[in-house]
Amino acid sequence: MISKTAMCPGCKTHVTIQGNPGEKILVTCPKCNLKGYFTIPGVKTESGPVSIEICGLTKTYKDVKAVENLSFNVCKGEVFGFLGPNGAGKTTTIKAMLGLIHVTSGDIKINGFDMKKNGIDVKRNIGYLPERVSFYDNLTPVQTLNFFCELKGVDKSVVPSLIKEVGLEEAMNRKVGTFSKGMVQLLGIAQALIGNPSIYILDEPTVGLDARWVRIVREKIKMLNERGATVIFSSHILSEVEALCDRVAIINRGKLIAEDTVANLNKYLHIKPRIEISIEGLDGKVPKVLENLDGVETADAKGDTLFVTCESHVRSHVIAALEEAGFKVANIKTIEPSLEDAFVKLIEGDT
Amino acid sequence: MEKLNPKAIYTIAKKEFLDNIRNKWVILLTFLFVILIVVFSYVAGGQSGGGKTFGNMQNTVIGLVSISSILIPLIAIILGFSTISGEAESGALYVVLSYPVRRLEVLLGKLLGLGSVIIVSTFLGFGLGGIVIAATVGTEAWAGYIAFILLSIFLGFIYLSLSICISAYCKRRITSIGGGLLVFFWNMIYGTILMAILFATGSNIGNLMKGNIPEWFYNSVIFSPSDLHQTAVQRAFGISTIEAMRIKVTIPEFLSMSTLLVVHIIWFVVPLILAYFFFKRRDI
Repeated sequence: MISKTAMCPGCKTHVTIQGNPGEKILVTCPKCNLKGYFTIPGVKTESGPVSIEICGLTKTYKDVKAVENLSFNVCKGEVFGFLGPNGAGKTTTIKAMLGLIHVTSGDIKINGFDMKKNGIDVKRNIGYLPERVSFYDNLTPVQTLNFFCELKGVDKSVVPSLIKEVGLEEAMNRKVGTFSKGMVQLLGIAQALIGNPSIYILDEPTVGLDARWVRIVREKIKMLNERGATVIFSSHILSEVEALCDRVAIINRGKLIAEDTVANLNKYLHIKPRIEISIEGLDGKVPKVLENLDGVETADAKGDTLFVTCESHVRSHVIAALEEAGFKVANIKTIEPSLEDAFVKLIEGDT
Repeated sequence: MEKLNPKAIYTIAKKEFLDNIRNKWVILLTFLFVILIVVFSYVAGGQSGGGKTFGNMQNTVIGLVSISSILIPLIAIILGFSTISGEAESGALYVVLSYPVRRLEVLLGKLLGLGSVIIVSTFLGFGLGGIVIAATVGTEAWAGYIAFILLSIFLGFIYLSLSICISAYCKRRITSIGGGLLVFFWNMIYGTILMAILFATGSNIGNLMKGNIPEWFYNSVIFSPSDLHQTAVQRAFGISTIEAMRIKVTIPEFLSMSTLLVVHIIWFVVPLILAYFFFKRRDI
């Protein structure tokens, strides 16, 4: 039996739901009485075997709850995004997975092994990149990677290819102390690749990198996933998560507020697509015809562009109504809801 | 007790050694050793006269020990004070602990790696100094000199153990600087407290100047590692009476070489055990 927090789509109240993983429960919102089905996430709802299983994780620092009763699963071979504003508890959760911090309560299983008991063995199969990575100032990248290879029991002959893979060949004999932040991050990535682990845990992997390297890192994540690796990475950059992830978990103030595929998340939150309509001579005024049109949620005008939020099937009604009223529709663009919209809606609902 | 992996300990030790042997402060202090030994030998030679330029090993060491018992702790503290707190703050420790390695292995690796830096620095500094004396004056009291080098290394390990303990306890690098300073100045702080106790119990400066030092007062060197070390060095050269500024004091029988060594071991082991407990329950 696990407990989950879900947000009522109507009044944005948080509702705690208890049930077994995979169970579908009819939930009634205590505030607005809205009814709906909620499926408890867990082993049965995801596709394929579970790689990382986090159950009821709580971490309290003195009297501050950094993470509270957090549960989610990451399936084998998927790219899982871990999203939330700064200070939401992402890094705490990741550190707990690796045994860097002692959890107050809850269980973490990776590849079926309890991290509290079998942490050492499991860690051979994990590549980790921390949020603020740093190495030893007086060592060269080669010495640094040699050290980590030895620590993982991997042959040091892989080091030159790792250095090449992250593009640090030119700096391979320089001391790491002279490196820029981005170069240290690249060395961090090289380090995570040692021994081709099957699980990658990356904490804000693109922070501090310039655009070129951000793209390379993202491609690398895709490539790792294509090789069959499970990747979990935290980010506060929504476009990144949206572009790379199969599923996302969104946390805020230490609590899980959503866990689903990007598409489902948008559906679940009832975020409607937005249409941008260019109308000659609109001049910032919202046409009166739209005010009472069924299915139109919002309508704003800016210059000659009209922004309308509505379900896709209402679109044709909107255009018809506008043309009937004599407006010259020059161009129509539909913007599908993004994770950002979901994120904003979730975070707003949480505060 | 978990089974330890010697290879992991060795790997950590090797990394610590490679990273810290290039620490510019350590290199500087090692050079200072060589210079100080030659200078003290010269002073000792001048003191004893006899037309010799350099003093023999015993006279040199007796002069040198008051400085080396400050410099060696300084090297150890520089090496150890932020080895855990600093790496936790910078982020390097996150990576290391995400590897298949136990915290006890990391701790022991650090101790051995940083300890090796002290060994190299001490052997290099005192060894070169010893060669200068041996070549100019002779190898008189060489056994005492070897014992002095070994005791210096032991002193270094005691302070390393203390500073690693501080590093494991302190959350941040800046707080461990405070801890390092406390350890460094401990013999002064402790000495002052002890003086206060001595005077409060009825003694005075005049008494001390006559050499009337109560035995408990002398014996209390066991609470200050650097004083402990100096006494052990004197014992190593077979000195039982200290003469300075016309005061003659005999080292109490309680402070035999074996007692001194046991106390050395306690000073080394206890902080290390504490360091392990602090490190084990620490959130990185």
